[in-house]
Amino acid sequence: MTRYVVSRLITAFALVLFATLVVFLIANTVPGDPALAALGDEQASDPAAVAAFRAIYGLDLPLWEQYWRFLQRLLQGDLGVSIATRRPVLDDIVDYAPATLELATIAFFLSLAVGLPLGILAAVRRDSWVDHAARFVALVGVSAPTFWLAFVVLAIFYGHLDWAPGTGRLDPIAFPPDRITGLLLIDTALVGDWETFHDAAAHLVLPSIVLAASTLGLITRTTRAAMLEALSQDYVRVARAKGLLARVVVTGHALPNAMLPVVTLGGLAYANLLTGAVMTETVFAWPGLGRYTFRSAVAVDFPAIMAITAIVAAIFVLVNLLVDLSYALLDPRVVRK
Amino acid sequence: MVNGWIGRRELAKLIGVGGAAIAAGLPATVHAQGRRGTLVLGIDISDTISLDPARMAQYTPPMTLNAAYSSLVAFNAGNYVDLVPALAESWQRAPDDKALRFKLREAKFASGNPVTADDVKWTLDRVKNLKGQPALYILNIERIEVVDPRTVDLFLKEQREPVLGALASSTNGILERALVEKHGGTSAADANVADKATAWLDTNSAGAGAYRLVNWERNVQIQLVRNPHYWGGKPAYDRILIRHMSESATQLLAIQRGDIDAAFNLIPEQIATLKDNKDVRTEGLVSLDFVYMALTHSPELNKALAVQEARQAIGYAIDYDGIRDSLLGGVATRSASFFPIGMLGSTEKVTKEIGFREDLDRSRALLKKAGLPDGFEFEVSYGNAAVSGLSYGVLAQKLQADLARVGIRLKLNPMDQVNLRTQYTTGKSTSVLTFWNPAGVRQFSWATATVERVSKRLNWTPPADLVKLVRDATLEEDKAKQEALWIEYQKRMVDHANLIILFQPIYQTVVRNTVSNFPLTAAGYQVELENARP
Repeated sequence: MTRYVVSRLITAFALVLFATLVVFLIANTVPGDPALAALGDEQASDPAAVAAFRAIYGLDLPLWEQYWRFLQRLLQGDLGVSIATRRPVLDDIVDYAPATLELATIAFFLSLAVGLPLGILAAVRRDSWVDHAARFVALVGVSAPTFWLAFVVLAIFYGHLDWAPGTGRLDPIAFPPDRITGLLLIDTALVGDWETFHDAAAHLVLPSIVLAASTLGLITRTTRAAMLEALSQDYVRVARAKGLLARVVVTGHALPNAMLPVVTLGGLAYANLLTGAVMTETVFAWPGLGRYTFRSAVAVDFPAIMAITAIVAAIFVLVNLLVDLSYALLDPRVVRK
Repeated sequence: MVNGWIGRRELAKLIGVGGAAIAAGLPATVHAQGRRGTLVLGIDISDTISLDPARMAQYTPPMTLNAAYSSLVAFNAGNYVDLVPALAESWQRAPDDKALRFKLREAKFASGNPVTADDVKWTLDRVKNLKGQPALYILNIERIEVVDPRTVDLFLKEQREPVLGALASSTNGILERALVEKHGGTSAADANVADKATAWLDTNSAGAGAYRLVNWERNVQIQLVRNPHYWGGKPAYDRILIRHMSESATQLLAIQRGDIDAAFNLIPEQIATLKDNKDVRTEGLVSLDFVYMALTHSPELNKALAVQEARQAIGYAIDYDGIRDSLLGGVATRSASFFPIGMLGSTEKVTKEIGFREDLDRSRALLKKAGLPDGFEFEVSYGNAAVSGLSYGVLAQKLQADLARVGIRLKLNPMDQVNLRTQYTTGKSTSVLTFWNPAGVRQFSWATATVERVSKRLNWTPPADLVKLVRDATLEEDKAKQEALWIEYQKRMVDHANLIILFQPIYQTVVRNTVSNFPLTAAGYQVELENARP
């Protein structure tokens, strides 16, 4: 098992580096000059100032040398300095990542909490009204444009009904807790600041619902399909014939076997959520990684783009690894091999 | 109930429990108002990179900087020609006529320490030596000398070249030397590598302004609290929160609900929906910004545009009133040339007299004179952005339709903003639709730009007498004579027809009626926060 994990980690590392190389080459084909984007108008017209700026970021070095420098820094844990914000990219990411982590995790659990039961029900009561309702919900969740859904939800629950608070992670008047992890729910709970905890939780509701919507569709359909497959197996017929309770048959026999594809796709969905959702973050003024990634791409901010690529690739690869390892827990046949 | 795996009753219970769990997450009462003494602004502040005055080169930071720092002189909202005293009580030419002597008023920093001439010298030296964009605006200052704790001399390279307009900018806000030095600041000649105070200045201020910066959470909000030692009296609000909201529709919701007191980025369609809302009003501000079309002179890029009459024909073929009325809801104005209305020599009257107007016959006659009776073709590039709610794409389509009436075929070339900047700044654009917004209020900066860096982008060598005209106007000290020279300059630019002004936005900010006074200004920082009153 250890050898398996180690070899997977080595492959993972190689994959991450390859991803950064590809993105680096693509980013360099863009005709835009990040120096001209970052400098004010007068400085941008002064060739000496532009040249000095480019020298600071090594933009005039040959491509292979720029990439080599990036690799050297990466191995030392230095993600470079952002051209757009002039700060170390690591500082930027540490600033914005917790907001996205918190939102993505809550959204994921929400989509699991609703999607799993819905999918199971749809499979067990196939072609009934429950099944049709579940499939409809899944379809709407996947098809609705995130930007539109975000704004509609905000307009209804905040604008008209006054049930939810406004945009951002906290109310303007609230005093944010001292930063321990950057995750507001945890930081406020650790110091016992329950009022701010409540405020942060309230602000999480609407964006989580919006983000969960598309993942919900995926999980519902996958669970339903996997359950249908499992329920049609011979061992289920045997279990029913033995006279076991319907609940036991479904949850004890069919469900564990249906979990494998759900775990695979669910893992990928979570990794996707973790890398940030630009639309949701824009509408809800959520200071997360999605917006940061978008702005870095638009400004052709090489160091930020490369760092984010490395992190996103690492997240996907690690989540995949964890999913693969989880098979060993879920399916005894995997270990025996 | 035994048939299925889960009965209907259990299903209903599950849904009920789940719904209750979600509802428990929602607050019992959502607090909208009940925060007297705090002013909350909703605006997109994502372009803020730093709150260190000496490094500022973006659009939104000046709002905060002007609230936290006072400069030697200032502009009152609406008058961008005459300067008023701020930290400097009075100023005049020194007796031997070599320097500009400022007498400082008795004022204190937010820390309680007095503002001295030494702080002024240190601040300006630091701006110069940090070599950021703000340093380019005070190149005319050769050196600064402290005469006594309340008197400071500025020695200028060119005596008659105005420097007060630059001094009014918040980039030259006076910093408290002792406090900034404690956090790694330096004004020495190597400040651009040795100064380490920027990180501290990003979340704190060391100024004498009406407010004090206490926090900046990137892309979340900026917090200012009242400065008890402010020399201008007691500001009406205890706290100001500048809240980041990048989506204008979100600002609309928030202002309707009273969660913010002012919304800065609403577009005309959204403002129209607030027409009958009794809780808000719209404040308009004639800005010093404008949207213009630049035309190249390089025959390699376009043979026709290199001919002056062809460019003039473009100027007379555009339906300017249509742009203002149909595309901007009537809320805009237009200057004659690259020189906004509000500066000395540029008024709506001047535009009527010497500026371009729609005159299709004249346009056709000019085309004939240019030897292009059947018109010609050229390409215009523009970015994927919008000004005052009007996107460049829509504006370009309107121009295309207008110019087609005289046979000029406009090819549209939408581009990414960064690529456009690169193409334009390196002089490779045939024609560009873009936006000019001044870094500060300096009377001569537009004209100087047109004959220096902008001319390079257009592959144009300005005639020597035009360059001299700009220089004479810059240095002319008699106001009436200066005004005449600026009008002469504009006539020449209209004649040359390489920069066609399409509109000068009148920005509309929506303000709740719980704020009685909210003075907008075009001096660069959008609103005089120190004068806001409930």
